[in-house]
Amino acid sequence: MKTKSLIIVTLCAGIFALCAQAADKLTVGQIVEKANFTAYYQGANGRARVKMNIVDSQGRTRQREMTILRWDAPKPKQDENIPKNKEYFAGEQKFYVFFHKPADVDKMAFLVWKHLDKDDDRWLYLPNLDLVKRIAGSEKRTSFVGSDFFYEDISGRNIAYDKHELAETTKNYYILKSTPKEPKSVNFNYYKTWIHRKTFLVIKTEYYDQAGRAYRKYEAKAVKQIQGYWTVTKSRMTNLRTNRYTDVIYSTVKYDTGIPESVFSERYLRRPPTKYLEN
Amino acid sequence: MKIGTRITAFSLRHYKLVTGLMAALAIAVLLGAALPSLHLIKPLPESVKNFSRSLSFLPSITVDTDPENMLSPDEPVRVFHDEMKKRMDLHDMIVVGVVNEHDPNGVFNPSSLGKIYELTRFARSLQFDEAGNTARREQRKDAGEPSVEGLAEPSGIPGLDAPAEPKNSAIREQPAAAKKPRGVIPNDVIGPSTVDSIEPRNGAIVFSWLMPTPPKTQAQANAIRAKALRVPFLNGTMVSEDGLAIALYLPITEKKLSYRVYRELQKKIATFGQGPEEFHITGLPVAEDTFGVEMFVQMAISAPAAMLVVFLLMLLFFRKLIVVVSPMIVAIVSVILTMGALVICGFPIHIMSSMIPIFIMPIAVLDSIHIISDFFEKYQATRDRKKTMLAVMDELFAPMLYTSLTSAAGFASLALTPIPPVQVFGLFVAAGIMFAWVLTITFIPAFVMFISPKRLENFGAVHKADDTNATPQGWLGKSLHWMGGATYRQAKPILAVAAVILVVAAYGISRININDNPVKWFAKSHPIRVADRVLNDHFGGTYMAYLVLEYTGGDGQEVFKRPDVLKWQSRLQRAIGTSGVVGKSNSLADIVKTVHRDLLAQNVDDPKIVEYYAIPNTTQAVAECLIQFESSHRPQDLGHFVTVSGADAYQTASMWVQLTSGDNKDMEKVVRATDKYLALHPAPVPLKTSWFGLTYINVTWQNKMVVGMLRAFAGSFLVVFLLMTILFRSALWGLLSMIPLTVTIVAIYGAVGLVGKDYDMPVAILSSLTLGLAVDFAIHFLVRARQMHERYGTWQATASHMFAEPARAISRNIIVIAAGFTPLLLAPLLPYRTVGFLLAAILIVSGAATLMLLPALIRIMEKRLFRQDSNAASAWCNCGLCLVAYITAVATVAMSLYSSFGWSVVTWVSIIGIATFVPFCWLISRRSKCRTLESYELHKEKMK
Repeated sequence: MKTKSLIIVTLCAGIFALCAQAADKLTVGQIVEKANFTAYYQGANGRARVKMNIVDSQGRTRQREMTILRWDAPKPKQDENIPKNKEYFAGEQKFYVFFHKPADVDKMAFLVWKHLDKDDDRWLYLPNLDLVKRIAGSEKRTSFVGSDFFYEDISGRNIAYDKHELAETTKNYYILKSTPKEPKSVNFNYYKTWIHRKTFLVIKTEYYDQAGRAYRKYEAKAVKQIQGYWTVTKSRMTNLRTNRYTDVIYSTVKYDTGIPESVFSERYLRRPPTKYLEN
Repeated sequence: MKIGTRITAFSLRHYKLVTGLMAALAIAVLLGAALPSLHLIKPLPESVKNFSRSLSFLPSITVDTDPENMLSPDEPVRVFHDEMKKRMDLHDMIVVGVVNEHDPNGVFNPSSLGKIYELTRFARSLQFDEAGNTARREQRKDAGEPSVEGLAEPSGIPGLDAPAEPKNSAIREQPAAAKKPRGVIPNDVIGPSTVDSIEPRNGAIVFSWLMPTPPKTQAQANAIRAKALRVPFLNGTMVSEDGLAIALYLPITEKKLSYRVYRELQKKIATFGQGPEEFHITGLPVAEDTFGVEMFVQMAISAPAAMLVVFLLMLLFFRKLIVVVSPMIVAIVSVILTMGALVICGFPIHIMSSMIPIFIMPIAVLDSIHIISDFFEKYQATRDRKKTMLAVMDELFAPMLYTSLTSAAGFASLALTPIPPVQVFGLFVAAGIMFAWVLTITFIPAFVMFISPKRLENFGAVHKADDTNATPQGWLGKSLHWMGGATYRQAKPILAVAAVILVVAAYGISRININDNPVKWFAKSHPIRVADRVLNDHFGGTYMAYLVLEYTGGDGQEVFKRPDVLKWQSRLQRAIGTSGVVGKSNSLADIVKTVHRDLLAQNVDDPKIVEYYAIPNTTQAVAECLIQFESSHRPQDLGHFVTVSGADAYQTASMWVQLTSGDNKDMEKVVRATDKYLALHPAPVPLKTSWFGLTYINVTWQNKMVVGMLRAFAGSFLVVFLLMTILFRSALWGLLSMIPLTVTIVAIYGAVGLVGKDYDMPVAILSSLTLGLAVDFAIHFLVRARQMHERYGTWQATASHMFAEPARAISRNIIVIAAGFTPLLLAPLLPYRTVGFLLAAILIVSGAATLMLLPALIRIMEKRLFRQDSNAASAWCNCGLCLVAYITAVATVAMSLYSSFGWSVVTWVSIIGIATFVPFCWLISRRSKCRTLESYELHKEKMK
């Protein structure tokens, strides 16, 4: 009897341990999807007032200030292409960036339609040149308005572009190593991402060159739970070659603002959607 | 004379001690200089290296090949240059040009572009760590787990663990940001694979890498060319206007790394094998650094070669190896002592100081040759080493002391120039000359005592001491004898010819061209010169100078976003472009115009595209163009043309001016053209304009050097004149002794002007050497002339004796030294060739001036020169002499104080001084003891 119960207890404990382990053991794909979701897709839409401090190697600073609006294409209700277990749907998105500073580019606006299967559509509105200009979408790794962030960092790099592998799991982080499928399209050899195991926030990313040297680094500097969503509120991108960096501070982040898709159109570039830009 | 005789007697008596002391000193200095640097030599055993390291309190040998150090580090131009480089984030650049003369498309073919792509990739990877090794390439260790605000506080965040403690605290402590690497700055490299093409395409604006991967087909190569040529910043800078060549610009963190980068690039290029492409590496940093490296190779060859030739010639003249060895020892020990002292004092070996041995050697040998020459003549008369040497030294001690003092003064005067390396050079050569003098008067007599009388049996000219009518022997003796006669008979025609030469030379000097260019220090066939020529043929110029425009309005206005300012800047660029040597210039205005064009145009063939290439009409529109430019792959480029951050954002702009020539005179031409334009067309806002960049810095030190040399020369001229006046106790004789060197300098610089040779660094330095050498011959000639005139009574009788031994000694000196420096003519580096050639010219001209002009002048002024009462015992008994000496001394002091105290103060002080000195000189020269020579001698006896 005693022996029996002992066996059961041991068995249960074993099963429990196994179960716990299994729950923790996500596939690399799942980790990537969840992190991607956390970084770019929380809430149906959102708004953030963003301050950018661009600091050069000599510590000289300049600022940009903008409001970023986001709209996500809703998760299709019945789509056989999306497997049921795909918890973190990441579909097409639209971004609207309205500039407040520097003062002489006030009212400049930038619109992105992020696609998954083709190049993004991007428009720029230059009020003083009275010009709505399309920007070729193929070059996403150019500087975002002079900062150390690329366009791709703002709207998110398509997770399908890279091969991901779990390099290490530490107490708090999944460390992924991602290698581009088309190495010629980018100038990094691979990058490593530190994903927080509980929140799935990307806390650090390091980009390595052909010689295996880290040359570019993203760091989340502050995070906060807003409306229940874990959100990075301060981050930094450093160019390790030039020691130049850009700090991005997200203030007044708001999710699920109810902004309609119609705002994300060329028409609204010339006529800013004031209602949705204000707090 | 007493002291001279005493020294000689001492050296003769204690010859072993003197020699031993000299050897010990030389070895001590050599060790002191060399030991602390031994650990730098790799193959040495570790124990030696450790010992060497333990001597770290002594300075080790440092090398400074940077011509920028021609200016002191706190020189305003340099300070400004460094400050602007920092503010505009600019660096010195190495230029690699690739030319393909065999392909109709030049380098725009898949194969050549492939090599360029690979070379660029390689160049971008050239970084070195602190020890100078190629930086470690392995992956950096992860600096522990990241921590982040919001996640780092376990209590504040329910359900979140604090990040794990770092496994290894040592790893944790690594600095987050990597140290800025040294070497090529990869992000700022300009090459087809690292720059953006900006292009309107189907109504969209496209920023894309110009050559993300090497093209596979000719059509793709052509497309790359077409894209590059339509970006004004690249056209003429990275791609030649004819679309046939490409230049890569490699900014480097420090100029001193340029030679290493140069070598690494050459190695890489060698791996491409033989191909139709030519790779040319140039740019001022490479030229300057390569010169420094080759300079030392050169020194290791030419200085010893010069030594060897001097040795062989002396052997030819004196035919006694054992005697000839002694001047060589004096020269070598002098060089060791001087260079050793230089190193021990902690001065770096600079382009200037590397020439110290070449300058010391001839002067060190000079005095010894006089002694040996005289010994050679006199020995057979007594056949006694001691007696002969005492007689020789009695005759030569004063002239040798004065020649050494004057030469040293000539070089020491270089301390008056505002150029630190030239100051060091001058002072150490002066010290070396005095070392050589001490060695000559002590060691040479001592050395003679080592030679057994037996070995001297056949030594020297065999003639009787008083054989006045001895017929001269040998070609040298005969021609000198003839020359002596000629100077006596044809004195007036000789002087007339000299006068004509002086007039012609004066005209030549008026045409002298002050110019220098470090690239031209290399011979025409040197790869760097070839590269320079080829690339400047193809491109808008590889010599970069930067024109800075600083807003002085003080109200913080971002003026460089103002359309009127940018339009004005464009016009200024156009004006500079017409000055002739500017092939191309790049500015903020060009960037704005380019972006504006490609924003407005629908496609590259938009019919209005030329019209769109303009500055937009509002500040805001300019700002929009700029932010668009910053959305490229290289936003940092904007900061090279205008300050974009901080308190002075958009208030300081720099314009890149590309010159096809690095000649200082061309840079000056551009500066003048700019000034002229600025005077006629002032900017719409108050702007301060200034220049920086290596090409401009060279102009500055060049100008300083010319003025500095002139002042140094004038100063040393006065010092030497003062010394001569005191030596001869006569202003007239003093003046006479200055004639050969004056004639030589006028003639040499006149010839330089007439031939059209640029007055550059080596030419400038040679004026001091001329002074030192030419006055030497004059002193020897005049001192001996006076001694002999006393003996023979008339100049007619004296002249024939003067043209025997004394003239022979002078001629031998001329021949030995002039020929000794012919190995320099074979040098691949032109400044050494210039020194070698001009040295020979100086010796010949000053020798001729001494041997022809001086006797001719003495012949004409015999009565005045050899006045009975001119032998007045004390210099202070000569009223005129006293005054001349005083005025000269005052002028000398004034020369040296000019820069710090201002001319007027010194002028007034000296005028008052002269006024007080007139009665003083009058009084002092009329003291009782000055009445006659005899009474003075009596007076002196009494005093004793």
